[in-house]
Amino acid sequence: MKPLEEIQREFFAALQMPLRGTSRKSTELPPCSEGHSPEFLARAEELMKPGENLSSAERLELYHRQYWFRVLDSVADDFPVLRRMAGEETFWDLLEGYLQAFPSESYTLRHLGRAMAKFVAGCEELDPTRRRWFSAVAELEYAAMETFEAAGREPLPPERIASEVLELQPHVRLIEVPVPADLCYTWKTFEPYEEEATRVAVWRGAKGAHMQRLGPVEFVLLGRLKEGRSLEELFAEPVEPEPTPEEVQQWFADWQSRGWITARGSEVIELVPQDDDWSGVDKMGSQARAMED
Amino acid sequence: MSGSRFTAGVELATGIGLRVPHYNHILSEKPAVGWFEIISENYMVEGGRALAVLDQILDQYRVVQHGVGMYPGDAGGVKFEHLRRLKRLVRRTKTPWLSDHLCWGSVDGSMSHDLLPIPFTFEAARKTAENLRIIQDFLEVPLAMENVSSYGEFNGNEMTEWEFLAEVTELADVGILLDVNNIYVSSVNNGFDPLEYVNFVPPERVAQIHIAGHSRYERFVVDTHDHPVIDPVWKLYERAIERCGPVATLLEWDGRIPSFDEVWTEAKKSETWRVSALAKKEEHEAA
Repeated sequence: MKPLEEIQREFFAALQMPLRGTSRKSTELPPCSEGHSPEFLARAEELMKPGENLSSAERLELYHRQYWFRVLDSVADDFPVLRRMAGEETFWDLLEGYLQAFPSESYTLRHLGRAMAKFVAGCEELDPTRRRWFSAVAELEYAAMETFEAAGREPLPPERIASEVLELQPHVRLIEVPVPADLCYTWKTFEPYEEEATRVAVWRGAKGAHMQRLGPVEFVLLGRLKEGRSLEELFAEPVEPEPTPEEVQQWFADWQSRGWITARGSEVIELVPQDDDWSGVDKMGSQARAMED
Repeated sequence: MSGSRFTAGVELATGIGLRVPHYNHILSEKPAVGWFEIISENYMVEGGRALAVLDQILDQYRVVQHGVGMYPGDAGGVKFEHLRRLKRLVRRTKTPWLSDHLCWGSVDGSMSHDLLPIPFTFEAARKTAENLRIIQDFLEVPLAMENVSSYGEFNGNEMTEWEFLAEVTELADVGILLDVNNIYVSSVNNGFDPLEYVNFVPPERVAQIHIAGHSRYERFVVDTHDHPVIDPVWKLYERAIERCGPVATLLEWDGRIPSFDEVWTEAKKSETWRVSALAKKEEHEAA
């Protein structure tokens, strides 16, 4: 028998081959009339013992389809806006290509979409406009996942703002994209729209992920907060255009009302969820997916 | 109930898996459940809702961790970053023991997110046991390895699955999480007598038992955890208890999850089977 390492490498390579036949028909991937490649069949013969009811290839196929069902379901769940904007056929095409290019490298399926924005940005099957928009949407949607599991720290009361080194909450993500992709969340379908650099914050509130459009100066200041600055240091370098004191006051009031500002070294806390939307908590399980015979 | 060095001496009766659709019921009604099992990987995060609810559960219930991403059978060895996260969670939950699956699942950093079957060879047994010893030393908590459902066997296997389970757990000196539904599923798919499996398992190593439902198709059975437990699986459970004593028992229900009460009622059926199993055990011992 081959060494364990070699067996596992060959088995895993077979799992990652494209879905075919009835397994593929059980998914929403675009149809494909091709059967399994000779390589898949040869690997199955070599690795798996045939049984009374199932051939070697059918046995390997049970693992193969479980792999694909699991990763497809998971990543599709994480990008509902991209799905709506891209349309079903393009979306599932993208997913298949993405999962072949970027298999999971994390212990959790929650991280499976980590490179979706990058993949979409380089996807030659899409026209350049769609690449920019869909990649930006993917970036925002993945940021929502990141906020889901990032740490939260005790928000800083206003009276301590002047005396502490200020930091941004770890779960606040600052994102700059070349198009106003946040608008897509309200669109039913994608229509090209005026493009402009757009800055948003994605963060976790008591009721899940939230998104907030930011102005360019506000974005720069929050970026500085992310690195950790005292109030004085925050404004040590000039920003253009220079904000008025009233604007700064309003920003701080907004940031504080959203619980974004914390002090360096402040205590890690857990928000108590205030509704019953627990989506995304149970990404992992030991059970197989139901399937067709 | 029976505590051992594989449960850190902790004795637990019947529990169920902690699942999202039941969170609100559990947090508001505080039902009298012996213990909950959590999927470790769902809570290995820095913050957020998952940990918020876990902390509320931990305030009121005993929680035992069950993982799906340890992959002790990986030829590539142990993933320490994963273990560091796992250990942080172990400290949080104070789990008396920690279970995962006797399987492999990753190659060169790519993850399958599946519980893949290990070839039953002496080389694989040695490598898996070596990984498990490292893992147990690192985590500093008793480990229990669960037999997985399988849908095929490798050419060139050098022993049966039950011999492999016994060999690895003996070499690594870890406990066993005996999943009697998985034994049933694998027995149908691979054509062996499930009772022979149960009768071979070293009873002193069994820290916990899993029961679950599955889906039967025309030519195979899939471990979907989306049905009640069937009688042949209860009979395997009865035999396992007869051999191992009253070990902690956990019902898994992960697909098409019914109400909390329905899941708990199904789990409580194990108590009837446990009583009959222990009566048989006493009879045998008296004879």
